[in-house]
Amino acid sequence: MLITLWLKGLLTQRAGRLLGVLAGVALTVTLLVSLAAFIAFSAASMTQRAVADVPVDWQVQPAAGTNPQQIVAALNPAAPTTALEQVGYADVSGLAATTNGTVQTTGAGKVLGLDATYRQHFPTELRLLIGSLDGVLVAQQTAANLHITVGDQVTITRIGLPPAAVSVAGVVDLPNADSLFQAIGLPPGSAPQAPPDNVLILPSAQWHTLFDAQAAARPDTVRTQLHVRLAHDLPTDPGAAFSQVQGWARNLEARSAGTTLVGNNLAARLDSARADALYAQVLFLFLGLPGAVLAILLTLAVAAAGGERRRREQALLRTRGATTTQILRLAGLEAALIGGGGVALGLLAAYGVSRLLAEAGGLLGSTTLPWTVGFALLGLLLAGVVVLGPAWVQARETTVAAGRAVVGRADTPLWQRIYLDVILLALAALVFWQTAGTGYQVVLAPEGIPAASVAYETFLAPLCLWLGAGLLAMRLWRGILGRGRRLLAVILRPLSGRLAQVVAATLGRQRTLVVRGVVLVALACAFATSTAVFNTTYNAQARVDAELTNGADVAVTGSTAVPAGSKLDALRVLPGVGGITLLQHRYAYVGNDLQDLYGIDPAGISAATDMSNAFFVGKSAPATLAALTAQRDGVLVSQETVNDFQLNLGDQINLRLQNAADHQYHTVPFHLVGIVREFPTAPKDSFLVANAGYIAEQSGVAAEIVLIRTTADPAQVAEQARAVVAGLPGVTVRDIGATQRKISSSLTAVDLRGLTALELAFAVLLLAGATGLVPALGWAERRRTFAILAALGAKDRQLGAFIWSEGLLILLGGGIIGLALGFGVAQMLVTILTGVFDPPPETLAVPWTYLALLLGAAVLSTVLAVVSAQLAARRAVLVALRDI
Amino acid sequence: MLHTTDQRRPGAPAAQTRDVEVYAQAESMGRTYQQGSTLVPALATATCAVYPGDRIALVGPSGSGKSTLLHLLAGLDTPTSGTLIWPALGERATLRPLKVGFVFQAPSLLAPLTALENVALPLLLAGSTEREAEQQAQAMLEQIQLAEIADKLPEELSGGQAQRVAVARALVTRPALLLADEPTGQLDHATAQRLIDVVLAALNDTPTALVIATHDPLIAARLDHVWRMEHGVLGEDRVC
Repeated sequence: MLITLWLKGLLTQRAGRLLGVLAGVALTVTLLVSLAAFIAFSAASMTQRAVADVPVDWQVQPAAGTNPQQIVAALNPAAPTTALEQVGYADVSGLAATTNGTVQTTGAGKVLGLDATYRQHFPTELRLLIGSLDGVLVAQQTAANLHITVGDQVTITRIGLPPAAVSVAGVVDLPNADSLFQAIGLPPGSAPQAPPDNVLILPSAQWHTLFDAQAAARPDTVRTQLHVRLAHDLPTDPGAAFSQVQGWARNLEARSAGTTLVGNNLAARLDSARADALYAQVLFLFLGLPGAVLAILLTLAVAAAGGERRRREQALLRTRGATTTQILRLAGLEAALIGGGGVALGLLAAYGVSRLLAEAGGLLGSTTLPWTVGFALLGLLLAGVVVLGPAWVQARETTVAAGRAVVGRADTPLWQRIYLDVILLALAALVFWQTAGTGYQVVLAPEGIPAASVAYETFLAPLCLWLGAGLLAMRLWRGILGRGRRLLAVILRPLSGRLAQVVAATLGRQRTLVVRGVVLVALACAFATSTAVFNTTYNAQARVDAELTNGADVAVTGSTAVPAGSKLDALRVLPGVGGITLLQHRYAYVGNDLQDLYGIDPAGISAATDMSNAFFVGKSAPATLAALTAQRDGVLVSQETVNDFQLNLGDQINLRLQNAADHQYHTVPFHLVGIVREFPTAPKDSFLVANAGYIAEQSGVAAEIVLIRTTADPAQVAEQARAVVAGLPGVTVRDIGATQRKISSSLTAVDLRGLTALELAFAVLLLAGATGLVPALGWAERRRTFAILAALGAKDRQLGAFIWSEGLLILLGGGIIGLALGFGVAQMLVTILTGVFDPPPETLAVPWTYLALLLGAAVLSTVLAVVSAQLAARRAVLVALRDI
Repeated sequence: MLHTTDQRRPGAPAAQTRDVEVYAQAESMGRTYQQGSTLVPALATATCAVYPGDRIALVGPSGSGKSTLLHLLAGLDTPTSGTLIWPALGERATLRPLKVGFVFQAPSLLAPLTALENVALPLLLAGSTEREAEQQAQAMLEQIQLAEIADKLPEELSGGQAQRVAVARALVTRPALLLADEPTGQLDHATAQRLIDVVLAALNDTPTALVIATHDPLIAARLDHVWRMEHGVLGEDRVC
């Protein structure tokens, strides 16, 4: 009976209180479960992307003298395979061809033997440029070296056997030459082996005809590999998938009694993906957890706003003879209502969010289910803590009035006496300093080692900064409201007039409530600001990363034989082209290292692609490019090359460049004018950048690449550019969007849009709750105070002075601290997660529109809360007077 | 300031009082509240007048409409039937805080303010400077012998002290009409008597009219007139 009555009363008389706390629980559950779903979804998509990109999963190499068929027999029980090809590799002394009466020869090379089915099973290994795939194929670089094309004859200089001539059917690009020609079985950490410059590919039968004899004569020069595609039914988590694929490989090695070496390309790619997945996890947690903590704090604050009335009700129950058990049972009923409703609503919202934003299969997958259940339990626990907890504490108190004081001469809280805020800030600084000492290596995934780890302690820096600054703000505001009332009265005078001192005194003696509001707003604002600033910076850097890889918004890439630059004029006039430049891409020997050499127009390149200061060492981008312009034979050398060769600015460097006229390498002098870290389209490690005009003089005028900055959708401009270069064989067009989607080596390829949208929407909700809901509930609980004021004769304006002063103090006091803290946390996050960015951002990108929206939401919710409190106070005078 | 007993008596027709300075005058005044679809008459009818210097006890059982009548006389509420005017005091909107003071039954001090600040509050609301308000509030507290608790917060005061501060707050603007809604209802007998002593002493030789709702016959006996409420009707003047 009592329970039914209580339940009815709760639902009819305390619906607002019930719904407020229920919404807080729901918000917490939604955020946490959505976060878990995003992490799982992100990991799964990383696995899928990593697996899809691998050209050949395994390259299995039998030891010399082992029959490949034995390995084939061992393969199937060891691992699920879907395709298997036997590939012959033969070393040759050289290749030669006669064109236009001159004989071109190359150095040592490789001749591969492939079955006709190979290109169906492994389609990304070969890309036909011209001719046909049926017959002898020559690699593009080799064709350029030999000046040959389809139909020409190539003489293969076999080792220990007479030369053999073949006729070329097609010219191909080998996009994955690095893995195709990898040295299998080298210990982890060994320097990668450069792919050969000279490559011929023969049909398997023809290869056997030419090289079986060489294998017999010189077995060390001929090898056979099994190229394997595995069934991609792998765990969604990249780490688990990596372990599984590694396990299969070890099983094969065991089954073949050590006569097999496995080039595990799939595991290598998953190895990289698992590090990225851990980074993503770190990112999501960094970005999401403060929101969840804030949602919990908001729930506590909403519950605390009704705490006084709850205590009075409980005291009344005790007065009427209710036992502690009965009181706790009633509180338990309320907690169950709030917990059950909040968790159900939260899960429903999380399901909607996951469907809407991540297209995830739901919250019940094997990875997410434990999290979903765990966070649902957390929601129930939260409801228990905020409702049942205070009831239990009060039931144990000897007097009803004990602990009721939220107004008055409150003692200094324990955290303030032990300087917890200072301790947390010091801890944040210490952890940050330590992380800086390790070069911000948050994710540790040593190459080849199965177990990757995250330095989770790094979390402590921003977390401690966030909490420490929040507590410090609390200390400062407690001080201002406690001892700085005169100052506060001066500040409030324009709003409160002659009531300024009374208002200041009211705020001062209710500082526990006011400071709670200020700090909640500060933390919500900091969360929103840091999330928005970090996300904007992240997105900006993701674009920079994609632009670095692609070269510009649109890149048209040809070859020395078929340069894209020949279509410059046609490309320039395409609609949507904002800037355009030519980029030469050659190779030059620095000592014995063959490096990429880029020829640019330093004065014009910025029109077509961004030249960030972060690309260059010691000088800004404009200064470095100006130095290159000023020195015709100037060259910018990558940091790694400068270190390897002990170079200094001003040094003369003699490079060997291949001349387009005689196809021979000639020594060309350059002068080092700058050091470069990154450059559009350039590899990460070693490369050179020089004046295009100087390179053209020395090695031919062709410009292989055209870079385009667009003023319209890059994909559309790329489509038009494709039509322009359609007649140029082998010339490709890529836009930045496609590149951004394809990049998988960097975490910035992780699509944070879903999470970002969720986070930013939640941030607005949380801030609106902190600036509007929490104060409004507090004012609703204090409507008796306002009724007394009205009964004493306070006019609307005077009543408003009390409410507005508190509302604006909470909004501005919290907002200003929150903004500053948000930028601080964002800067710390960006610094700590330097490893995520390639290249690191120079400055934070500020989302002004979002911040304006945030400010608008905060102001609007404050105004709504104040105005409704004013109206309610006026309306409720008589109701409240009956209680007085 | 001239009036007759008949004119003052509840139920006397308002027309007879037009020529004198009446603080509050009600004729067939009623107040009905709506609770859901039900109309609840809190005050069925009241015809009365309050004159300068009146000392009136308003008695009657709980729920008879005493508080409603006082709220209406104070301008805190508006009648739903009949008329209510304040001929000598002006419009309803200008009554508080200067012309009408009100003392509530339950503790009504603002919790975040000290006793002195609570007493000064009506003066500040009326537009006094902070210094003036503080000086007058201090003087009022001294007058009712509460100077020593000026800096105390309400939670630090006893029930009797809190009600005396509430009285001081009601009196600090020197109102023409002081209305008190069972101010001693939560006090013991001795404390209640002391509170009434304070009120009467403070009003001694002033034209301030006093209407106190009370259940205490001893308090009613100390006042000049008794108004009796029964079932929402203000009855005839009667000596208790």
